Amino acid sequence: MTDRLTVVVTGLGMVTSIGTGRQQFWDALLAGRCAFGRVRSFDTSRYNVHLGAEIQDFDPHSHVLELDPSTIGRTSQLAIAAARLALTDGSLDLDKIDRTQAGICLGTTSGEPHFIERFDERYVQGEILNVDQGFIRGYPCHVVPGNVARELGFEGEAMMIPTACAAGNYAIAHACDVLRSGKAPIMLAGGADCFSRITYTGFARLGAIAPEICQPFDRNRKGMVPGEGSAMLLLELKDHAIARGARIYCEVAGYGLSCDAHHMTAAHPQGEGASRAVTLALQQSGIVAEEVDYISAHGTGTPTNDRLETIAMKRTFGEMAYKIPISSIKSMLGHTMGAASAIEAAVCALAITHQQIPATMNLHVPDPECDLDYVPNVARKCNVKVAMSNAYAFGGNNSSLVFRACLA
Amino acid sequence: MKRVAITGAGVISCFGDSAEILHSALCNGEQASYQIDFDECADSNCRQGGRLPSFRAESYLPGKPLRALDRTGRIVAAAAKLALENSGWTPEMLSRHEVGLVLGTMFSSMHTISAFDRHGLTQGPSCVSPMDFANTVLNAAAGQTAIWHNLRGINSTIAGGTASGLMALGYASDLIRHGGQTALLAGGADEFSFEAWCGFERVGLLCRSNGHSEFPVPFSARRNGFVLGEGSALLMLEEWETARERGASILGEIRGHGSSYHAARNPDGAPEAIARAMKAALKDSRMLPSDIHCISASANGSVLADRHEAMAIYTTFNGSSQSIPVTAIKSMLGESLGTAGAFQAIDLLQSLRSHLLPAIRGLESHEPEMPSLHFCRQKQDIIGNSGLINSVGIDGNVCSLVISSAPGEDTTINQEKPC
Repeated sequence: MTDRLTVVVTGLGMVTSIGTGRQQFWDALLAGRCAFGRVRSFDTSRYNVHLGAEIQDFDPHSHVLELDPSTIGRTSQLAIAAARLALTDGSLDLDKIDRTQAGICLGTTSGEPHFIERFDERYVQGEILNVDQGFIRGYPCHVVPGNVARELGFEGEAMMIPTACAAGNYAIAHACDVLRSGKAPIMLAGGADCFSRITYTGFARLGAIAPEICQPFDRNRKGMVPGEGSAMLLLELKDHAIARGARIYCEVAGYGLSCDAHHMTAAHPQGEGASRAVTLALQQSGIVAEEVDYISAHGTGTPTNDRLETIAMKRTFGEMAYKIPISSIKSMLGHTMGAASAIEAAVCALAITHQQIPATMNLHVPDPECDLDYVPNVARKCNVKVAMSNAYAFGGNNSSLVFRACLA
Repeated sequence: MKRVAITGAGVISCFGDSAEILHSALCNGEQASYQIDFDECADSNCRQGGRLPSFRAESYLPGKPLRALDRTGRIVAAAAKLALENSGWTPEMLSRHEVGLVLGTMFSSMHTISAFDRHGLTQGPSCVSPMDFANTVLNAAAGQTAIWHNLRGINSTIAGGTASGLMALGYASDLIRHGGQTALLAGGADEFSFEAWCGFERVGLLCRSNGHSEFPVPFSARRNGFVLGEGSALLMLEEWETARERGASILGEIRGHGSSYHAARNPDGAPEAIARAMKAALKDSRMLPSDIHCISASANGSVLADRHEAMAIYTTFNGSSQSIPVTAIKSMLGESLGTAGAFQAIDLLQSLRSHLLPAIRGLESHEPEMPSLHFCRQKQDIIGNSGLINSVGIDGNVCSLVISSAPGEDTTINQEKPC
């Protein structure tokens, strides 16, 4: 059997509540900048929580150059912005690749929720016969990668994998498979979600939203904070990257995907599915547990997730779990839903590149049930050759991606 | 390279709940009898489409309360039940092996999302139901189905518009061919929803009646839009050798697939994008156009898409397009969105196995601007074991998939040796 072809990361682009573009984002992350504030994009006076992590001052006109931004939703705008940033970061000349084969794979939780929210507002006001003409073209979630494809002139596969809060990992995993099968010269893969009233309402109703701050793994943590964002990775086969003189961040060594088949919103109590995803990812990567230098956690900040995630890490790594630094950037960005694991994938690539890892911010009181090294409050220099990113979603979806420093 | 065996299927359709019943109805030229049951659409011009005439989830999913599942979740879990039984996967086997699920869907839980949101708007955010929220994620149906049937392998939801079902089959087949997976349910589902119906109607994509009740005829000069239906359809896909070792019945094989996106910068580029997907599917299958014995077209009565697809078939099969019969089962099933590609795959496999291809119901003459393909106006005998399926989306997604029926004992096998 031939060696598996190596997929490498050659460009990173992201739009987040703490920074846009690789440099600004990474600097803010290492500085521990947090983006929590009162929700502005809709009225939360009827809710019992008001905290969100919205992106302020995003100007779609700076990034959406071919399409008319007013004809597409915010999620598509964020995705296009991240895509363009990734292409620029990767110094990819679009005229030098076969765009009829170039593909897009994205993950999301909500797609373009503003369209359905508007539909519903009209409905409850009795105006349903006036439904917006743009609804059917603007709403279904597959239009997000479609809009990115239209903006860039990509004509290969344009796929959306809406596996909620793990979706970015699924998209990156699929993009790697497409590249290895020889179907595309390059792939843009990532995730995007805009701030959604529907999502906010649901999490608020579950009592899952923190009132003041997101503090994963802290003993006094009170919940997650919904956010928004996008991230795209430029991926290609290693030989293709070398041939065009691209800067290589790292290799996508492998992935593992599993399903708890247990409960729609609560993780498996013994972390069985999560553990299996990690094990599968390590197997596919040809990496043993001892080689993992850093883990980007799912770490939403809810009492349950953080406790169960800790159990899952101990189940998978045994005593070694205590030696691997694990941090949650949701402590700064909040939960960016379908974008989260794509942003976290970028973080892994940057950790390997810069030999530094971000902290879990706002972690002041250790929780005896979350007693691993969660890198409290201060980013640190770290020897990172292998980084892993874990993400879990409603529906019991578990995902793990493994990144490795590229050997020359 | 690993081969992808099809070992069973499960179908929830307006014609019935098995591949055999579906195929038989299509070969008999039956027309879907969907039902619309809300008054808000009364003054629309479209008189066709709607929900399955009778679907009782309890009859497929006994024993546990169904309350937690929304309608999409129920039709998917029901199709999964049928597919698992049809392929010989027992609950005991599912407890020992991690079988996955890949579901293609265009709208997924849109109706649940919308109802949840409307409830919040009118009653207040503290009155929404947490159980409903769990079903608002777009992967809810796949997650609920996995819980119901203990499917602990890869669980993925694929959204590619009306090409979702076929893209899901392609994605799943690659997980087997290249990704080391051994067993996956794959296919698609979409429930009929007022929200979808309203949206399509508003932009004039649904068929309009001309004073009489007329089901759209794909490729015909009279076509003016599609009928919106619903359903769910799942195939059991397994790695070939593993399937043989467990004594499974191998019905057929997914040989390959290809996808493209029509960026619509150049409106004339659509036929080329469709042709590219078909050629990519043939290349991925390591087959030539002459290896294809029948085509299941995506055509559903849409004015532009049907024409573009016909042109693309013509250029792809240049020279042999006159002899390859083309059917369009949406002439009977209507457009079932995420389910469509999976319905087409299941029926094409039945057609290859039974050597009988359904006709395009109601097609007298095709539109003169279209190239002259071998449109199936009567059900017809087919010789040969391979067919190609298209899904042409309204938003630019295109997918093509090649299927072969499993060789009989007296048939020469036409494929390369597996690695």
